[in-house]
Amino acid sequence: MLNISLVNIAFTIINLLILYVVFKKFLFQRVDAILKVRQEEVDDATEAANKAIEEAVATKREYEQKITLADEEKETILSDIKKQGFDEYEKIVMDARKKSDQIIKEARYNAKEEAKRAREEYADELKDMVIDAATKIAATKHTSEEDKDLYDTFIDKAGAVK
Amino acid sequence: MKELLNELLMEDKTFIHVPFGNGFFDIYKSVVVTWGMILVVTILVILLTSNLKVHNISKRQAAFESVVLGLRKIMGGILGEEAAGYCDYIVTVLVFIAISNMVGLFGFTPPTMDLNVTIGLSIMSIVLVEIAGIRKRGPGGWLKSFLKPMAAVLPMNLLELLIRPLSLCMRLFGNILGATVIMELMKHVVPVLLPAALSIYFDLFDGAIQAYVFCFLTSLYIKEAVEE
Repeated sequence: MLNISLVNIAFTIINLLILYVVFKKFLFQRVDAILKVRQEEVDDATEAANKAIEEAVATKREYEQKITLADEEKETILSDIKKQGFDEYEKIVMDARKKSDQIIKEARYNAKEEAKRAREEYADELKDMVIDAATKIAATKHTSEEDKDLYDTFIDKAGAVK
Repeated sequence: MKELLNELLMEDKTFIHVPFGNGFFDIYKSVVVTWGMILVVTILVILLTSNLKVHNISKRQAAFESVVLGLRKIMGGILGEEAAGYCDYIVTVLVFIAISNMVGLFGFTPPTMDLNVTIGLSIMSIVLVEIAGIRKRGPGGWLKSFLKPMAAVLPMNLLELLIRPLSLCMRLFGNILGATVIMELMKHVVPVLLPAALSIYFDLFDGAIQAYVFCFLTSLYIKEAVEE
């Protein structure tokens, strides 16, 4: 056990190198190949996931923009409708006012006409009365005393008519 | 005791006698056992790695992968990033020594109990350490590194070239020899049960520890050699 043999030392070194080559070729290279493929797959998957996330974020932003636009549109439509409604209201009120003015005018005119007609009627009556009174006076003999009474009566009558 | 040591140390370890060269070319048992070991390990490794899959791996492959990566991680951690390229060699040495220490379980004499094998291993280690240093610093830088941290330590550094492999070689040899001697003595004293229990310690645990220590120190030397 204790004697040293160069040949056996050399053989040991050769054995070790053979084992190293075997390990390198059949163990480490094969395992490394598998690990490399796996790593590549993981990298690919990670990349794909990152891409998908980016796309999702972009889509989200797009939709948010769209929603903002829709909000603005909604506001515009609402204000349009409000304005339209106000205009309509204005128009209706204006029409109503015009109509009422018209009615008032007509009423006033009618009232005036009525008053005029009443006055004419009254005047006619008065005329008839005057003619009647005059006829009566002319037909009878009369003193100034009687005349005076007659006028008073007429005036009273006229006042009563009025 | 003396007989036992004589029996263990002085037995004729020639396995293949080469008729010329006056015994110089004789091949020892330890080398033949190593050949057998390499053959078995090679077949095992080829079988295990022949059907590796990327997905849906079998439990066998998962266990195998984690063992390989675990060994690499342990040794790579000591080597550091700069010397990571030497990791595969260190793992090979680790497996070589570990299996060498454990063939005692199958009734063979551990090859590491032969001084020639441990000398071979430690020569390889010191050559690798110096090659790592030369590759890292260039021949000039490597020679200059013997003068660091100051010129006065040159003799120490030169001695280290001899002492490091010597200590590696002797530590391994002595441990395995000691374990075998104790085991033989135990078998004489208590023939049943106790040797089996001690075999677990000496063959498996001590064998693995010594393999780890050898690789740990080699890794440390390499790391030191490539460090700035």
